[in-house]
Amino acid sequence: MNNTITFLALFPFIGALLAFVLGKQQAKLAFWTAEGVSALLFLATLWLAYQYSTPISIDHTWLTFGTRSLPFGFYVDGLSIVMLLIATGLGFLDIHFAHDYMAEDKDQARYYAKVLFFIGGMILLVMAKDMIGLFVGWEFMGLASYLLISFWHSQKAPSDAGMQAFLYTRFGDMFIFAAIGLLLYFVGTLNLVEINTLAQAGGIDHSVAFIIALFIFIGAIGKSGQFPLFPWLMNAMEGPTTVSALIHGATMVNAGIYIVARLFDFYLSTEALLIVANIAAISAFIGATSALVQTEIKKVLAYSTMSHLALAFVGLGVGSLAAGMMHLVNHAVFKALLFLSAGAVILAAHHHKDLWQFGGLRGKLPFIAAFMAIGALSLSGIPPFSGFFSKDAVLTAALRNPETQGLIATLTTIAALLSIAYIGRVWLLLFSGEARDANLHQSIQRPSLFWIALPLLIMSVLTLMLGFYQSEIATFITGKTEASPHIDGLLTGLIIGLSILALIVVGLYAKDLTLVKKMAQHPFLSMLHQLLFHGYYVEAMINWFSQHAVVNGAAKASAWFDKRAIDASVNGFVPATQTAFNGLKTTQTGRIGDYIALMVAGLAVLLIVMMVGI
Amino acid sequence: MTYATLIFAPIALAFVGYALFSQRGNVVRGIALTTFALQFIVAIGLYNQLPATGYLDLGAFLSVDAFHFALSLRVDTLSVVMLLLSTMLLILVTLSSWTMEKSAAYFSLLIGFSGAIMGVFMTTNLLWFFIFWELTLLPMFFLVGIWGGEQRVYAAIKFFLYTHVASMLLLLALFLIYKQTGVWDVTLIKEAAIATPALVWWLLFIGFAVKMPLFPFHTWLPDAHVQAPAPVSALLAGVLLKMGAYGLIRFVIELMPEVSREHALYMLTLGLLTAFFAGLLAIYEQHLKKMVAYSSISHMGLVMVALSTVTVEGLSAALFEMVGHAFIISPLFLIAGMIYHQTGSYQMRDMGGMMQKAPYLSAIFVLAGMAALGMPATMGFVGELTVYLSAIAHYGAWVAIIALLSMLSAGYLIWSMRRVIYGELSPLMRNSQFVIHRIEFAALVVFGLLIVLFGVYPQPIFDAANHSFAYFGGRS
Repeated sequence: MNNTITFLALFPFIGALLAFVLGKQQAKLAFWTAEGVSALLFLATLWLAYQYSTPISIDHTWLTFGTRSLPFGFYVDGLSIVMLLIATGLGFLDIHFAHDYMAEDKDQARYYAKVLFFIGGMILLVMAKDMIGLFVGWEFMGLASYLLISFWHSQKAPSDAGMQAFLYTRFGDMFIFAAIGLLLYFVGTLNLVEINTLAQAGGIDHSVAFIIALFIFIGAIGKSGQFPLFPWLMNAMEGPTTVSALIHGATMVNAGIYIVARLFDFYLSTEALLIVANIAAISAFIGATSALVQTEIKKVLAYSTMSHLALAFVGLGVGSLAAGMMHLVNHAVFKALLFLSAGAVILAAHHHKDLWQFGGLRGKLPFIAAFMAIGALSLSGIPPFSGFFSKDAVLTAALRNPETQGLIATLTTIAALLSIAYIGRVWLLLFSGEARDANLHQSIQRPSLFWIALPLLIMSVLTLMLGFYQSEIATFITGKTEASPHIDGLLTGLIIGLSILALIVVGLYAKDLTLVKKMAQHPFLSMLHQLLFHGYYVEAMINWFSQHAVVNGAAKASAWFDKRAIDASVNGFVPATQTAFNGLKTTQTGRIGDYIALMVAGLAVLLIVMMVGI
Repeated sequence: MTYATLIFAPIALAFVGYALFSQRGNVVRGIALTTFALQFIVAIGLYNQLPATGYLDLGAFLSVDAFHFALSLRVDTLSVVMLLLSTMLLILVTLSSWTMEKSAAYFSLLIGFSGAIMGVFMTTNLLWFFIFWELTLLPMFFLVGIWGGEQRVYAAIKFFLYTHVASMLLLLALFLIYKQTGVWDVTLIKEAAIATPALVWWLLFIGFAVKMPLFPFHTWLPDAHVQAPAPVSALLAGVLLKMGAYGLIRFVIELMPEVSREHALYMLTLGLLTAFFAGLLAIYEQHLKKMVAYSSISHMGLVMVALSTVTVEGLSAALFEMVGHAFIISPLFLIAGMIYHQTGSYQMRDMGGMMQKAPYLSAIFVLAGMAALGMPATMGFVGELTVYLSAIAHYGAWVAIIALLSMLSAGYLIWSMRRVIYGELSPLMRNSQFVIHRIEFAALVVFGLLIVLFGVYPQPIFDAANHSFAYFGGRS
């Protein structure tokens, strides 16, 4: 077991190096290395899951400075194993899919090396026993996402998006970094399990615990693209679609939820959980409403990720670890499925992404249409697809908690219902009706069955199957069996709501788009449209702040102070030398010698004076 | 063999080498490399001979009894670490200057510098320390003044005057110490014997703070760095600034630990101010090399924060951050210099798309930049983390504001990378060839490897640090 864990921790990075070196010899070797490495990682995880009975713990000391030692241990329990399965399993399928998706790219060595590094970061994160290891994995993913989002570095948009992703997530990371010190100072341990145990026993001061929990959650907001740090997630769509699938399904965004789930007992002991629920409800609402009006396939999916991760956070925030984590698991699978289906369409359409250019693809891409429909149904929460069960559980948990059954439950329910509207809109605009761009429609190529359709098929089957094993997986994750409560009438209500929305969307988008276009003319609706389209202008506000308060504010003021106050007073302090500078600027180096001679002479005189003075 | 040879032979060699081979730079370069390699090997030998505690006595020379003026050479772990770091950097800087023009004079100056720097780190005699300290200035002054950019003379003189004024304060302090205690040897001076401790402390502190540099004595550094040729910038950041920090440890904190503890808050405040102020300046800066220079200052501020705790944790963290800073900032300076050499500009608005022209060079820039912003698995992260943890353990929760620095550094570094490396090719970059000599490139690779090696496996440096500072006792 310990060997398997060490293997999982190290092999992705060795594999990344290998993929790069081999890929530089021959491009295809990079793919095969990555495929092999990720397959082995997945098999090792399966082996770990198969053998698992009790949590495994490995202790290492990373470094000792003075009398203090910093640990770097591993801790693997049910929660970690499920996250590992997601990271390595979906990671493997994603790499398999990339065989065709990235086939024409010149830089395959770099691509696969970075992807393996990305998966390695997630593996480190979910196996970490201490805050240090967790932070290392956390930062590795920040780095990997930066490098992958700006993978097409010669273009402006991906470069900007990579920078934005790094800085937004870094803003959150800074709070986690701060929390590491606070934990060590106030709690005296960085061990995640001990923090939980201590908190449960009431061993951590209340206000301290609140601040630390809040700081860690701010980190999670950045990583998981929650309000207000979400805009990077949408702009990250500039990266290759396979990377988006990786970020949204297998790795990155799950990390934020994982960290709260990992410290769940700690969070339960603080009031911060209510803040989690509040931020999550707002994010769910913003994500779901903004997803309604996006024109790019991937942007709809990105907003829907924000919204659905928020649902998972609501689950955690209202106190149900099982509901939150199950929604994360289900979402990981169906979101990877949706992204890769979208990737298949984008690949078939030669990298066109605008929804309004498509239409009527049903006949051209029947398999993709079917797979995407399965993902969409699951996302909308239609039984018996997996998404239904966890969404139901989240809403139930929110409604049963007296603190959250008001506004939070309402926003969450709206967001949950709206998913059918935005994903239905995407599916209809892509596959039903008439082709809106005849040339594009003509050029659509049928994708490969083995490289493209097979991974989609596997994910579709998983999406269907997961629904039937919800309670088993939840027990595996939480380590305890919980009776899943029911609320009478919730199911009926949801189904009625979903049906109404479905009818509206079909009416608007299925065949005739004239009504939609007429609505866009309406002044109020078009204003609303703009607001939603730009994600409630959160990005503009953050840009304004960083531009005016930081760069042209504090930084510019510092520069002014440095030049006008400090340097000027230094130069003014010795006016004679100032003139000497000015005079010397025009002359050449010949006079340096004089100055050196003077300096040496002065030094000698000083020394002699000193000697005599003594 | 006496150890004084390590100091005086290079100084003599600098003159002899230049006199004999003034037209044959390659020969002088060979002499330089051999000298530095020998010094490095001797330093390793010294490291293995170090006793369990205290100093290794290497003898005394040039004894003038009347003034207690003997050049007493003693080293402990701290000095040997500094020797190892400086000689390693000298070797790498020599490799990075492979194609430098007027090379005979240039490498002669480096050889001379190496002798002076050996003296700085090996002697425990205050007066000799001061003499070597001043001696390092001479080659640096010429290196900046002759091989520098357009404003090199202004920069060289500013650098010179700044550090010279600081040196006068140092001299005054040393003078006071001698007057009050009657000895020059730092190992024989008792803190209690110093009659005016506060005055001596402040004089020494400011003297070293200018070199480090600390806010508000830092304005010489950006000018000197910008004008200096890139390898000399690396040397300035890697060795010269370290002399300031070394001086603070040896002659301020070790000499007067109690007074230092009383003044801890001043040191902490100045350290934090330096780190934040320089970080903000780096954000606003458009000039690539100046941005790196401010980043360098910001990191030295962190060193000061750790030093101010006067605990074994803090000092160990500071030493690690010092070494890390040398390995991280040097390649950034070197690459900035290469870019200037290729494009003729330091302005980041003229750049963009370097990844397309020079992917491996860009990759090393990204690696060093990531290290500077504290990415795990690099020395930057280890340094930042241990500095933070030692400070928070000593001062309490509010020190968590240090975390803000990780956002600042990400801000200026990631933004700079965006402007220089990513994006569309700028016209200036399009017309540049990016022909880099492979030995100069190899030096960069070595820096990159060191950053990652000690970032993943930092214990060797901490072993040395823990050994150096064990007698300061644990957290307090």
